[in-house]
Amino acid sequence: MNSKRWVLLVTVVVCIGLLSGLTVMAAGEESQLRIMVAFPTHIDPAVGNSYSCCRALTMIHDQLVYPDTSLTPQPHAATDWEVSSDGLEWTFHLRPGIQFHNGNELTSEDVKFSMDRFVTIAEGYSYLFTDTIEETEVVDKYTVKFHLNTPYGVFVTALFKFHIINKDAVMENLVTPGPYGEYGDYGREWLTTNDAGSGPYDVVDYQVSELLTMKKVEDYWGEIRPRAPMRVLMVPWAQSATVRTMMARRELEMSDQWQPLEVLAGLDTIEGVEIGRFPTGGVFDMMVHNRKPPTDDIHFRKAMCYATDYETIANDIFPELPITANPIPPQVAGYNPNIQGYYFDLDKAREELQKSKYYDHLDEYVVELAWEIPVKERISLLLQSDFAKIGIKTKIVKYTYNWFLQNMSDMDVSPHIIGMSVNSDFSEAGGLYKVRYASAAANTVLQNEWLLDPVFDQMLTDSLAIADQEERLASYSPLQQYLVDRATSLWLVPEYYQGAYQAAYMDWPTGQGEGIRFLGYDTDARWIEVYPEKRAELLGQ
Amino acid sequence: MSMLKFLGKRLALSLLALFGLSILIFIIARVLPGDPARMALSARAPDWAVERLREQMGFDKPIYTQYYFWISNAVRGDLGDSLYTRRAVVEDIKQFLPATVELALFAAIIMAFFGILLGALAGRYKNTWLDNGVRSLAYLGVCTPPFVFAILFMLLFSYTLRVLPTGGRMTAGALRPPPITGLLSLDALITGNFAALGDVLQHLLLPALSLALGGIGQESRLTRASISDNLRKEYIASARGFGIPNWLVTLKFLLKPSLIPTVSILGLDIAVLFSNAFLVELVFNWPGFSKYGINAMLRKDLNALSAVVLILGMVFVIANILVDVTVAWLDPRIRLGVERQK
Repeated sequence: MNSKRWVLLVTVVVCIGLLSGLTVMAAGEESQLRIMVAFPTHIDPAVGNSYSCCRALTMIHDQLVYPDTSLTPQPHAATDWEVSSDGLEWTFHLRPGIQFHNGNELTSEDVKFSMDRFVTIAEGYSYLFTDTIEETEVVDKYTVKFHLNTPYGVFVTALFKFHIINKDAVMENLVTPGPYGEYGDYGREWLTTNDAGSGPYDVVDYQVSELLTMKKVEDYWGEIRPRAPMRVLMVPWAQSATVRTMMARRELEMSDQWQPLEVLAGLDTIEGVEIGRFPTGGVFDMMVHNRKPPTDDIHFRKAMCYATDYETIANDIFPELPITANPIPPQVAGYNPNIQGYYFDLDKAREELQKSKYYDHLDEYVVELAWEIPVKERISLLLQSDFAKIGIKTKIVKYTYNWFLQNMSDMDVSPHIIGMSVNSDFSEAGGLYKVRYASAAANTVLQNEWLLDPVFDQMLTDSLAIADQEERLASYSPLQQYLVDRATSLWLVPEYYQGAYQAAYMDWPTGQGEGIRFLGYDTDARWIEVYPEKRAELLGQ
Repeated sequence: MSMLKFLGKRLALSLLALFGLSILIFIIARVLPGDPARMALSARAPDWAVERLREQMGFDKPIYTQYYFWISNAVRGDLGDSLYTRRAVVEDIKQFLPATVELALFAAIIMAFFGILLGALAGRYKNTWLDNGVRSLAYLGVCTPPFVFAILFMLLFSYTLRVLPTGGRMTAGALRPPPITGLLSLDALITGNFAALGDVLQHLLLPALSLALGGIGQESRLTRASISDNLRKEYIASARGFGIPNWLVTLKFLLKPSLIPTVSILGLDIAVLFSNAFLVELVFNWPGFSKYGINAMLRKDLNALSAVVLILGMVFVIANILVDVTVAWLDPRIRLGVERQK
């Protein structure tokens, strides 16, 4: 064949290809939900530790308990449970007949295997259990008992992050030798791209960090809405212009939640697109170093709290969000609305500053305001202006997140004030107190306060040990008061999920403010309904 | 010195350069701030778990010991595990490298074809409206970063006109051709799946074009200058004097020697496509190697980062060697010069 014929052949193939591509684009009109996430999404429950992981894990697996809209644990794979009088033994009765995606029945052996594997690998969210689980015991085929080494009242709530996997499927796919003795690699390699769950969605294909495709399990035992999407696709995070184009072309049903406010406003103008907005249970704080001069002085900290113009910060930077000025956001169970937080009052600020031991040497101290993303720089600039009004000198410095991760474990190096968003592990105040203010968090990026306060720790331990939910929630009030009295931090706004979704052809209860507002459960596709025919209408097909 | 010896020497020097590069990146990656094990396991993971991961990854050993194990494993094809994807780096490379290779190849084809074509036309019709048009286009291409073209093309062809897809290698959820080479277009072609081929080509068009435009500008300027120089040479006048048709003179006697400087730069431009690919990959949500490399750097994924830099270094080395060979093939003076030295 001469070169001209080759050129002709290649041209014909490319043209046929391009035209055939149009058919592929027009196909794919089945009910599907495409969610933009930040990869990596680990579908191994013992490894996943991010929002996108939680989203996938919740859909792929069953849990012993499942939260209702008030985030109270409800029976799920477990029909009921009881706790021993000393709070050290939790017995769960399993629902018979639940099937894993490969057809095996879910039994107490699988629950024990999942928990043993979770705490042995000790990654992901296993830290919720590693310190408390003594042993998991199989009582009979449908009864499992967890033995704890200390009373842990929030145990059932923590189980929202415990996902049950198929023991047989994992054991068939062990790689030996591996770091876990007789269990080899404990199935880690296999679970990187395969699922061993029994949840309403089954992993069909996983191109790691590229595309996760899940398919609805037709005969799923549990509740699932009639128009829940047939397929769920998790696509990788993209920059704003791409998100906007994909939303406008209806190639994406849910955007990510990290788009800047101006981009969200732009997305809101697209016909049929709405912004889902709901509190996540976390809080956006300016973490104040409580052991470094001059912010180690309680009056100095109170002066800063009163000198902060909360309304301006909220209006300028978080226009849709309410002010918190309290360690616990109002939406979180265990919040006490009667405890007065701080408010903007320059006279009170000056009054407090005069009581500070540093008042006569203010010139000698410069408060370092550290930031790593632009929104925190803007907050720092506003605070700098506020603090200058009462004579506090500040310096704004930029660090990388990596720098924070490394250096916030050093009390001497960590800066006076840094802004950070922190989410709770449990759906109640105790979770936030534990990750933010307990001594265990003092050398991590989650706490710059360096409280290391045994009184607070004891109060928290006592609260978390209470098994009765109502009593436990009530016990959180003194903790809230304790932190407010000490002005440990500058509390600004509650952490909100803010992301665009295709309201014209999907029904997403949580986005509409009615569903389950908990990490991963908030976008569980079983509660979301998608209408491809309405999408086709929007596209003019 | 024979051509083979010349190549052998180039290869040996390249290996030495790669060895130096591996030491450099290994050290740089480790002095970046941040604890990779802590970053992988999150701030809330217990200290003992973080410490165990550090030991598993060998981070607790002196840096020279770490390097020794890493390089000796790398020679055997084991680049360690990624803390970002939590699997073997080799697996990641198998997935992400073909995506970027495919993108760069298409961009290179577009770059070479249009760069040479436009340059040849501009040189042949020097100082005409065509020459001026190509010159303006070339300046625009050279001075505009690829990601600007990427965003503009996306807004025009995907958002406004809606004739081409927004991003990804294929329509999300469309059936992929079975993996043979990892290049989806080639795999689709091999398996005769024309629907998939079309889908892949549509997804390739905009990112490849965005990447290629800068190179097109550069190649066209070089080709133009070379063509207009050679046009004045006596051998061209002689060829015409012998009555050889104009098109044959252009193709056979003018274009071939004029391509030497273009090809020299083309090879390097193709290698540069890999490093320029990151922002284009980000705009078009292209799951490629460059994006993977940046994620590795941001998350201090040491094994992945070292592997990415080493592979990019290899791409440069291979591109340089290929350029040398091609230039020698195009220019008999170089070829003969090498042989005369024997």
